[in-house]
Amino acid sequence: MAKEKLTTAEILAQARQQGAAGSGGSSGDAGQPADPPAAADPQAESAAAGEAASDAPAAPKGASDTPAAPKGASATPKSTADILAAARAQGSGSSEKPAAAKPQAAKPGGAPKSTADILAAARAQGASGAKAAPSAGDDAEKPAKEKPAAKPRAAGDRPPLEEMVRRMHEGKPAETKPARPKLPSKPPLPARRPESAVSRRAFPAAMIASIAAIVMTPFALGMGLLALIGGLWSLLGARFMMPNMVVELPSQFKVGPPSDLPPGAVSEKFKASRGVWLVRSDAYNGEDIIYALASVCTHLGCTPNWLEGEQKFKCPCHGSGFYISGINFEGPAPRPLERVGLRLAEDGMLEVDKSVKFQEELGQWQDSKSFVALG
Amino acid sequence: MLEPHPDLTTHVIHGLGWLYTVMFLMNVGWTVRSFNREGHYDKILGFQVPHLPKAFVWAIYTALLGLLAATHLAADGDPQDFFFRMPVALKDAINVVIANPISFFLLSILMFAAMIWLRKWLVRPTVGWVLLNFSMLFLGLSMTDYDFRQIVGKPDNVPIVGMLFIVGYFTWLYFAKAVENDRRIAAGEPKIEDEQADQVLVWPDLVYTEMICMLLLTAVLIFWGVGLDAPLEEPASAVKTPNPSKAPWYFLGLQEMLVYYDPWMAGVVLPTIILVGLMAIPYIDFNKLGNGYYTFDQRKFSVSMFLFGFLPLWVAMIILGTFIRGPNWNMFGPYEYWDVHKLEVLNNINLSDWFWVDQMNKPLPRPGAEDGFAATALIILKREWLGLALVAGYLLVFPPLGAITVFRRFFVKMGFVRYMVLANLILFMAALPLKMAVRWLFNLKYIVAIPEWFFNI
Repeated sequence: MAKEKLTTAEILAQARQQGAAGSGGSSGDAGQPADPPAAADPQAESAAAGEAASDAPAAPKGASDTPAAPKGASATPKSTADILAAARAQGSGSSEKPAAAKPQAAKPGGAPKSTADILAAARAQGASGAKAAPSAGDDAEKPAKEKPAAKPRAAGDRPPLEEMVRRMHEGKPAETKPARPKLPSKPPLPARRPESAVSRRAFPAAMIASIAAIVMTPFALGMGLLALIGGLWSLLGARFMMPNMVVELPSQFKVGPPSDLPPGAVSEKFKASRGVWLVRSDAYNGEDIIYALASVCTHLGCTPNWLEGEQKFKCPCHGSGFYISGINFEGPAPRPLERVGLRLAEDGMLEVDKSVKFQEELGQWQDSKSFVALG
Repeated sequence: MLEPHPDLTTHVIHGLGWLYTVMFLMNVGWTVRSFNREGHYDKILGFQVPHLPKAFVWAIYTALLGLLAATHLAADGDPQDFFFRMPVALKDAINVVIANPISFFLLSILMFAAMIWLRKWLVRPTVGWVLLNFSMLFLGLSMTDYDFRQIVGKPDNVPIVGMLFIVGYFTWLYFAKAVENDRRIAAGEPKIEDEQADQVLVWPDLVYTEMICMLLLTAVLIFWGVGLDAPLEEPASAVKTPNPSKAPWYFLGLQEMLVYYDPWMAGVVLPTIILVGLMAIPYIDFNKLGNGYYTFDQRKFSVSMFLFGFLPLWVAMIILGTFIRGPNWNMFGPYEYWDVHKLEVLNNINLSDWFWVDQMNKPLPRPGAEDGFAATALIILKREWLGLALVAGYLLVFPPLGAITVFRRFFVKMGFVRYMVLANLILFMAALPLKMAVRWLFNLKYIVAIPEWFFNI
């Protein structure tokens, strides 16, 4: 039963153990198919390289050394660079000759220090692939000499460089070209472990139910919480749709009879609640009229104040000033204050209509809806 | 007896006592430094003196500060009778200078020019120390005025006062390093930066610095948060604007621009040009010198131009907006009561008004409501031709003029495109003080005023 509940990590660990045992035991068995290909490749390739070297008739001596080397390398592929280098060595070994590939295979096996190492290996690889075998051996030797630090380390995994070079010189590449597959054929899938099959057969329905219950409980809990939170948010959303606000007042409203306003008066009575001043003045064109000015500065929309002493509207934000007529005369406001609609209603009351506005610079103050003439 | 706006209270006197105590302690340290590092006087005003250390001047000053602090801390009589306060004549003089936009702006330009011209003298440690002491004493003395306390002591504004000291310090620090490097370059010696290691250790150098900064900053924030209440105002209302209504301090330069320009220009076009222009600096800068070290002599134009835009046109405008602008956006001296009814007689007119009404004695041509687009455009063109011509001339004449005169070397080195970008950026930067000047001098509102299309320059 316990085997059924292996975690992913455990399964992977097992697979690796199996793979290591397989590649160590026989060079043909290159690990479990469950292994990721990147991990399987270096093992398979180095094992194959070892095989090829031992097969090569020109290098009879190497047969005794090489089998040990791939194992050391395959047990711990040090980095992606190792794997790549091994793959390249593999490619060239199959096309040209295995011995030429060895110096490179040995070097990356000893943990390349830098990109320069890898590049050197790759260049040596290219040279050995293009040229004939003896010169290729010379070329391959050069990068190895340039990086003497790689030597001692390589000696642990592989035969010493001198040994390999000597073997290469002895060998006759044309004859020793091994006819071997580029990659070892993948072994057949390992047989399913017997206990697994046994335990599956013995799996009781009750266990399914209990596991399902265990799996489902957090699931149910989570979904329940989600539903709860979602519900609360929905309630909040519904509350948001009904904000705590003052419903906009109708744009037409009565403001009292014209007799409320003596000549030259500016009524601030409706400024705070409705944003208009009621003005009776003859400052605009000499006619005694009543008009309603919107209390919005034409510069940036602040609310100016009526200064009785100076007889002007003055904006606190940037200092724009307007005469009682609403005409701008100081500060940055580019145009006069706007009038809103005003009429004398049937019952003798003044009625403001904020839904229309009249701009002086567009000549709209001539419109009779923008003022109420007296007398 | 009960004065509603007392210039001095016992609290203020005691607080100033602590300020002077801090200054006293600072100057004790400075006296020691002076004794150790500075030499002796052998002659004072032509008189032989027996080998007097220069530190004795500082010792006398420090002793006076100590006395001042003790007097303040021990004061318990009627605060109105306290002797140490700013003279009224000085207050009035400062009010007159500061509350006038022309003198305020001229003063800031003069200080900027003096800073550049006198930089070699300014960066001496003693001069820097004297300036610091002077500014602190001035601040302390000004605190004896009720109106000054109201505006400077506002919780909003206290950090701005601190930041002014920081701006001053870092500007001074830049000049100190630049002047030293310039001296070394002239003498053929290695620069300060050449003598320093080009690598420092993360541990302990960086980590310790960061930790100390973190602790200090945390402490400052905590004391600030405890000491100054957040300045909350009344609930917002669409129909009630606070008077004065101020932008956040860092936008006060923009708000000041808005006083002189149309919102479309000062709120959109000019800020965009400022941002894009700052981003363009690396691409239009052809001077390879000054890379990685402080210098002024090798980058005179760049540094002066940047500091001009930053100090008189931005920091000074923040000072103006924070401390000087009062109700109805009028300018008030620092010791002046913020009177809502302060009367400033202004009558700003547009250039077209001046041309048509004052010079031609004709009514301003205005498009009627029934005119089509083409007719409206023609009438507006006729009305605003002078302003449009001036603006076009400003933007079209000055770049080529500069290219063949003062900026000849720049034009050759930069090529046409980069030079034109630079010239236009400078012209736009200069547009602000120019417009301010014509507003103050000629009461000009807009050079081009087309309210019909919301376009004003």
